[in-house]
Amino acid sequence: MKILIADDEALSRRLLERTLERAGYEVIAVENGKQALEQLYKLEGPRLALLDWVMPEFDGPAVCRAVRTRSEQAYIYMVLLTSKGSKEETVLGLESGADDYLTKPFNAEELRARLRVGERILLLEDRLVEARENMRFRATHDQLTSLLNRGAVMDLLARELNRSHREQKSTAILLGDVDHFKHVNDTMGHVVGDEVLTEIANRLLGSVRSYDFVGRYGGEEFIVVLNNCDPNYALGRAEEIRKSVSNRPIHTAKGPLNLTMSLGVLLSGEWGLRPVEELLHEVDIALYEAKAAGRNCLRTSRPATKAEPPSAPLPQSVRLRH
Amino acid sequence: MNNPKEILPEPAWNHAELLERVDNDQELLRELLTIFKEDFPRSLRSLQTAVADGDLKNAARLSHTLKGMLSSLGGAPAAAAASRLEELASAGETASLQGAFGALECQAADLLPELDAYLTEVRR
Repeated sequence: MKILIADDEALSRRLLERTLERAGYEVIAVENGKQALEQLYKLEGPRLALLDWVMPEFDGPAVCRAVRTRSEQAYIYMVLLTSKGSKEETVLGLESGADDYLTKPFNAEELRARLRVGERILLLEDRLVEARENMRFRATHDQLTSLLNRGAVMDLLARELNRSHREQKSTAILLGDVDHFKHVNDTMGHVVGDEVLTEIANRLLGSVRSYDFVGRYGGEEFIVVLNNCDPNYALGRAEEIRKSVSNRPIHTAKGPLNLTMSLGVLLSGEWGLRPVEELLHEVDIALYEAKAAGRNCLRTSRPATKAEPPSAPLPQSVRLRH
Repeated sequence: MNNPKEILPEPAWNHAELLERVDNDQELLRELLTIFKEDFPRSLRSLQTAVADGDLKNAARLSHTLKGMLSSLGGAPAAAAASRLEELASAGETASLQGAFGALECQAADLLPELDAYLTEVRR
């Protein structure tokens, strides 16, 4: 574990350095408060720090205060080293943000024990951060496929649509539905159905750029958001995605299955700034059209031109999925 | 009345205490002594100048540094003298500085030969 020592006095610094190296720490030793802050602000910098109270540039309490005002970084456990011993000074030191203090000349045994306390606190923090990250992931991702869930995609999409409108670019929304998926579930069982969805999720992820979004929109419906792309790219990508599903069988516990996907495509640049819900409704209609056209194909959603009357609602029969 | 601490004079250099602090690492001990022999005279001279100039701020800072150095090395009486000087400088007692500096020099004069003797012995 990395530990920072900040002490302007060479003898004390060397003594601390050697004591801590012997205790198994990876020691970074600096001579003043400014250098201490440089180290502590580094990404992957030390998270344990022993700071001498009296130092040039910034003294120990000043370093503590500076570190504590930066709330976004991981917790740093800081121990002040002082030859001062009065209660007032102890209180001042702790109130500057130090976690503990030690009086010089220190006892090696006590120093090591106090640093172990610091390590326990850091471990506790790591566990809490990990738990929080897990919860955040679960709140925004689909459990089966690990893709973004519907809520997360809607949020990201709204932001992306605003941005592309502002920058006068286009965002493509692709809504894909696995053809005859209900049949797979009914005849092969849900376990196989889950395998199919997981594999299709992987193929979709493999077909887009790192900054595009792929989400599970509903049961067997997937949504792909291609940020900042021109119409030809979007249509080409949609076709690639369609092929990525149909071009080779999906291996399941009950053998390989040949499946296809129908897709609706919408280019936001053709629509202007509209509410997310409205655009999703439009791309959904395009997806119905692809289904109606025989499945395993794409249809693009385009706004009605002024000359044309608004398109009539689709007959109920076409609205059936599967 | 008979406090044993007052009867038994503290040694100028507590070799055993320092050896314990370095976990019996003789090599580190020699290294620390070498650092000390280089840094101590320099800081002491700067302190002397600050005291002569009545520069309270630097006198306090330098005596603090010397105190840390001396106590890390196990030189308790000299560290106590440096500590006294630091207190006086911080309290603005300009008139007493010269005397306190003299006391520190006396303690240092007791300490340095012991360190030299040790270094000569281990190098032999």
